[in-house]
Amino acid sequence: MRGENKRSVIVGIFVFLGIAILVTGVLTLGGQQKKFVKSIGLKAVFDDIGGLQTGNNIWFSGVKIGTVRKINFYGDSQVEIEMNVEEAVAEFIRKDSKATISSDGLIGNKIIVIYGGTTLAPPVEDGDRLEAVMPLDTDKMMETLQENNQNLVEITNDLKLLTGKLAQGEGIVGAVMTDSTLAENFRSILTNLDRASRTSNQMLAGLNDFTSKINQEGNLFNDLATDQQIAKDLRATLESFKTSAENTEVLTQKLTEISEKLNDKDNTLGLLLNDPEFAQTLKNTLENTDSATYNLNRGMEALEYTWPFRKGFKRKAKAEAKEAEGN
Amino acid sequence: MAGEASDRKPFISKKIDKFFKGLADAWNFVKRFWQEVFLPPYEFKEVIHQCYRIGVESLPLISLTGFIVGIVFTNQSRPSLSEFGATSWLPSLISIAVVRAMGPLVTALIAAGKVGSSIGAEIGSMKVTEQIDAMEVSATNPFKFLVVTRVIATTFMIPILVMYTDFVALIGSFLNVNANELVSLSTFFVQVFESVSFLDIWSSVLKSLLFGFTIGIVGCYKGYNSSKGTEGVGRAANSAVVISMFLIFIEELLALQIVNAIRGM
Repeated sequence: MRGENKRSVIVGIFVFLGIAILVTGVLTLGGQQKKFVKSIGLKAVFDDIGGLQTGNNIWFSGVKIGTVRKINFYGDSQVEIEMNVEEAVAEFIRKDSKATISSDGLIGNKIIVIYGGTTLAPPVEDGDRLEAVMPLDTDKMMETLQENNQNLVEITNDLKLLTGKLAQGEGIVGAVMTDSTLAENFRSILTNLDRASRTSNQMLAGLNDFTSKINQEGNLFNDLATDQQIAKDLRATLESFKTSAENTEVLTQKLTEISEKLNDKDNTLGLLLNDPEFAQTLKNTLENTDSATYNLNRGMEALEYTWPFRKGFKRKAKAEAKEAEGN
Repeated sequence: MAGEASDRKPFISKKIDKFFKGLADAWNFVKRFWQEVFLPPYEFKEVIHQCYRIGVESLPLISLTGFIVGIVFTNQSRPSLSEFGATSWLPSLISIAVVRAMGPLVTALIAAGKVGSSIGAEIGSMKVTEQIDAMEVSATNPFKFLVVTRVIATTFMIPILVMYTDFVALIGSFLNVNANELVSLSTFFVQVFESVSFLDIWSSVLKSLLFGFTIGIVGCYKGYNSSKGTEGVGRAANSAVVISMFLIFIEELLALQIVNAIRGM
């Protein structure tokens, strides 16, 4: 009887432990797959889901937040994905977030990645549909890769041809590689180039020094560039220059008008300057005036010795003599 | 005389007739089990006794086998995965293999060998030594006491043993993965449960129930219908193991199809 009881207890423990393993497994699985977590449903419509299956994971910022609940055909040939997403994470996913299909590692399971979204948009709610972004098509990638391979073959063929020619000394580069004189010339060219680059470096250093001096405070150029008062004064001066230039222009115009008038004969100065007949007449008049003045002087000299003016001239001579003595 | 002659004449051929007669007998045996299982009296003590013998006493063998399976399968899978640089997938691969197929299958095959043969031989020897007839004479229902208790015990103990096998196989796998890839216990089990679904677990449990029922019913049927003395006992034990294993593989194949169909829905 005691043996039977012991056996029953051992069987009970055995069964208990077995069921405990099962329950632990189920709970762990449920916890890991978020089966017992409150969730909301989100949707996305793709043209091609590339082998995505029910139960595949949903990632957001690299964290697993749910699983694919259902896959339905939608419209003509599109596929609607229904997703279970943890309710606690919903506040971080915005309505303008996008969903795309990616892969868990290089050869891993397909996953849906939710990304993007701005804080301007409100958080997602149960039943919301996210914008679907089609992933890179592997077939297209392979096509491009194939094209690249063909290009690579052509490039290597060309390279083979080129290196063959180089080895035979054809072309400038081949000649440089095989002809020692050319190589020496090339080396000297390079030396010159090196020298030129050093010189240019020095020049650039000088230029740099010059510009740093210009940039120093108190320098005229620096002041021009930085001091607003100087700029204002300069601007006022330029305005004055402008006004002066305008005045000068007006003056020049007037002088031009005067000179034009001087060339005409309808005015006194123009007549004087341009009419030779008038000039001859004026000359004759002046000669006559000169002759008359001469004759007048001679008449006046004769008057000194003529009565009744003789006494008056003597008195004047005496007064001048006295004044000279007094000085 | 004419009627006796027609009775001896085979319906199709002697062998084919024997095969179909065996099937009909097996069907009747299973039908009788389901008729008896729900009717009192209930042999609880005998059920517990059989549970002890089938479950607890098989545990060391099953655990050792599961542990070795875990280590060996991990070691054998590593080269293939390392070719892709995907040895980090070992926990996922092992968990899928163990939970979906290896655990139930290995446990059922070991149990078929150990328990099925034991049941077949035990009931067969009771049959040939007329102990079953003696039980009937003493107003004890031998079918209920010998068959129903054992079938119930195998049906419920095999799933429990499968849980142990899964656990021990995963521990064995972890030790191997830890030694080679330096993966921690928590990381290992996170990856294990990442690849397994509820469908895998429930299908594994249901499959184990079916395997347990098969082992019990086949062992009992072969033992209960044994004849020809000690030779018949050996034959009953042997055929119980062979037929159980064969049926387990057939059931595994069918279960796989059904589970895959459900998975695709």
